[in-house]
Amino acid sequence: MLYTSEIQITPLTSIRRERTLPAPGRVLVDVGDRVEATQVIARTDLPGDFHVLSVARLLGVRASRVKRYLQVKVGDKVGRGQVIAKRRGLFTRSVKSPTDGVLAAISGQYVLINTRPTTFELLAYIQGTVTSVREQKSVVIEAIGAVIQAAWGAGGENVGVLKCMVKGPSEPLETEGIDPSCHGMILVGGAGMDEGVLERAEEFEARGIVIGGLQPELLPQVEQTPFPVVVTEGIGSAPMSTPAFHLLSTHDGRDASISAQIQTRWGIVRPEVIIQLPAETLPPAPTQPGTPLAIGTQVRAARAPYMGAVGKVVALPPHALRIETGARVRGAEVDLGEGTPTFIPLANLEILR
Amino acid sequence: MAEERDIGSILLVDCGTVITKAVLLEQVAGQYHFIARGEASTTMEYPWSDVTEGIRHAGEQISEATGRRFFDVNGNLISPELAGRQGVDAFAATVSASQPLQVVLGGLVRDLSVASAERAAAGTYSSIKAILASNGQMGRSNTEERIRTILDAMPDVVCITGGTDGGAVTPVLELVETAALSSTLIEPQNRPCLLYAGNARLRRRVVDIIGERAELRVVDNVRPTLSEETLSSAQTELNALYVQDKMRHMPGIETIIDWNPVPLTPTASAFGRLVQYLWHLGDPSKGVLGVDLGAANTTLAAVFDGQLFMTIRGDVGTVFGGEQLLQERGTENITRWLPEPMSAEEARGVFINKETHPISIQQEPRELWLEQALAREAIRATLEVARPGWEPGSAQPYSHLLPLCDTIVIGGGALAHAPRPGQVALIVLDTLEPIGVTTLVLDSYGLAPALGNVAAIKPLAAVETLDNGGLVNLATVITPVGHARRGDTILKMSVTYEDGSTFRVEVRYGDLEVLPLLPGQQAVIELHPLRRFDVGLGGPGKAGKRRVNGGLVGLIVDARGRPLRHPNRSDRQQEQMKKWLWDVGG
Repeated sequence: MLYTSEIQITPLTSIRRERTLPAPGRVLVDVGDRVEATQVIARTDLPGDFHVLSVARLLGVRASRVKRYLQVKVGDKVGRGQVIAKRRGLFTRSVKSPTDGVLAAISGQYVLINTRPTTFELLAYIQGTVTSVREQKSVVIEAIGAVIQAAWGAGGENVGVLKCMVKGPSEPLETEGIDPSCHGMILVGGAGMDEGVLERAEEFEARGIVIGGLQPELLPQVEQTPFPVVVTEGIGSAPMSTPAFHLLSTHDGRDASISAQIQTRWGIVRPEVIIQLPAETLPPAPTQPGTPLAIGTQVRAARAPYMGAVGKVVALPPHALRIETGARVRGAEVDLGEGTPTFIPLANLEILR
Repeated sequence: MAEERDIGSILLVDCGTVITKAVLLEQVAGQYHFIARGEASTTMEYPWSDVTEGIRHAGEQISEATGRRFFDVNGNLISPELAGRQGVDAFAATVSASQPLQVVLGGLVRDLSVASAERAAAGTYSSIKAILASNGQMGRSNTEERIRTILDAMPDVVCITGGTDGGAVTPVLELVETAALSSTLIEPQNRPCLLYAGNARLRRRVVDIIGERAELRVVDNVRPTLSEETLSSAQTELNALYVQDKMRHMPGIETIIDWNPVPLTPTASAFGRLVQYLWHLGDPSKGVLGVDLGAANTTLAAVFDGQLFMTIRGDVGTVFGGEQLLQERGTENITRWLPEPMSAEEARGVFINKETHPISIQQEPRELWLEQALAREAIRATLEVARPGWEPGSAQPYSHLLPLCDTIVIGGGALAHAPRPGQVALIVLDTLEPIGVTTLVLDSYGLAPALGNVAAIKPLAAVETLDNGGLVNLATVITPVGHARRGDTILKMSVTYEDGSTFRVEVRYGDLEVLPLLPGQQAVIELHPLRRFDVGLGGPGKAGKRRVNGGLVGLIVDARGRPLRHPNRSDRQQEQMKKWLWDVGG
């Protein structure tokens, strides 16, 4: 049996997302609550900045004698300018706190002062129902909708309204099309975008961009963009895959959540677009993930020269065949709609779920 | 597991970051042979989230080829072997799939204690997230910066070195205080372990400073004197931390431990064991090297005088680490190995695509060349860390060049599965730059770590499988060392084949020649170096005869010079690479 990786481009499915605080805090929702995507569902305090003072040096004493000159102890609140250590004598020397905060630690010659913590608010990210809560830590939200997993992304998460900016998956996103109507929208393009798009989208406060391939020269610019950019196929000039484009364009005008977060190993996280759909629509029974590749399976090519092309497996040759690099590899004959089937290495196929 | 004397079948598994390999060894006519292999995606991630699934998938491939079934209907390993070729008598696994240990190194002098700490960390799967080198200076802002560095890195371990035994005191203790303070800012469950490997006279004071704020482990000073380096104690502790904190946390690992009759072994350790074994088979006056280029790690194992020196870059492989190497080594150092132009942006894009689809392979030659360029720089980067720690003794005739090596073992997916054997040979010659006469051996079945591991269960199985062709000869390489003008004749040689036929060849400086000598064939070569060139037969100008083995590529004469030089202009670099690839049949 032949196993390969999988990618989800699903028109209707049950969605389950676990939202976790970066540090223990307070969960603000209960099981059964309906939540909006932009709703704060949990809150925590994150450590603020800190300052380190070399009290021994500032007082001119040895590290081992620092404690006897301290005016405050670990855990005490200190104010900006407050004397925290003093050495009396002919020339009295003192050390003042440079900030409001808490004396967090003393180690040898050093004193560490933590400034006030900052509050972190965890948003629901998707509209749905809370199905599970882990005290102080996380919330599970379930919903029904369409999911498009992507290859790459940069930026965080956002929610907005889908706005399809192109007529087909091979069309690039162009600067001219971006106007004030893009405010609050998640812009959908096809194969790449021109250089001015990001600046103009930022100017009109777009909430995100979804495209097929991204030209490599735009990578540095995309990584600085304040909103998420999701690249469905990969770095290059590939058009958006037909199923992904079809889903996104069909739901033009609907609310969507977009996440460009990516982790490629040790707990894979893929960028994604989630389109919330009316709850009364029941999704079909999900196909079993982790099943082997078979004739008839719908697949997507993950690497050049067919990156983003989608088709059905029509044959699984039992032996390795030679590809352009000279390597002999196992692969599948895939009907990409080009008349004759195309041989693609198994390693470069993703099963579409 | 069956009693050792009864072991007739062994399933060996290596769970790599991307690929899980399985190998079946069987006793046939009283000797162990490699029978079949299978490989499948490693299944640590969703939808499987269990590494044993990948083992079953790889096992299924062997089952299809041999008819032997390894797992029962519940997916449990059948062991010992039952009638009707069901199950195996023994199972052993090596693992490199887990996350490397995240390490922050602290020391006083970058080229001394910190360099030693770097080599200690490289003894296990680790990724160095930051280096705090005080160079004897540490002010308030430096302390704050260093704490920020530790907080940003969120390491598993902070390894503090510095000071010879009885040497520097204050700057070492300041580093320890920095680590202690940073611990107070991290949630207790996420606090890094502190490994102290500095001035031994300060141990008690270090214990007092750290107190209860972090887990403290104290090991031998990595630099007890300025001229001495002692890595084994720190390496053992770091390796133990890797096994305990990383390897043991892989999903499904408990099942593998249940199947394994011997302790689970990191892949690199097993690979090192095999390289050490090969040293015992060869010329003891020379060394043996092993390079294992994985998806996320690059391992270099070197053995001189029987002593093993392991160096692992746990953050750089042919799938993960491309972007990092591009930044670390500079685009021009990667693209100098390409036969055609490529921009930094395009290279980065290809690396990203590979990383987002780790199992995928290059379908276009352009992307293949880039992967092989990455392989070259990954090996070179690892070699740079490794070499200062080696003690090659008399195997090192030239301090600026690689010591004399009898054999170089080459493993890892990108090398073992390279489309043409000449490409692999060229990668090794371009990176390790061997001198004298060296045999290149390819681990084309991915057996090397497994054989190193099986030695722990059944040493005879490792020996016999090697004897029965477990590794494949890639080439014998002759590399003359000396100075001449390009085009000058520097070596006259004759090759006498087993059938008595002989041919003579004159080698010119700058050439890369491949002479025919097929796998399984032997020949006697007679070398007459000119212009006081050294071919590793006893010194400059020394002539001699050697019996050599053939290989997939043949007999290579690498007269390109040592160290290898590149033209400055990128178009000339590309021409040169085209020529070299052409010369070796790549």
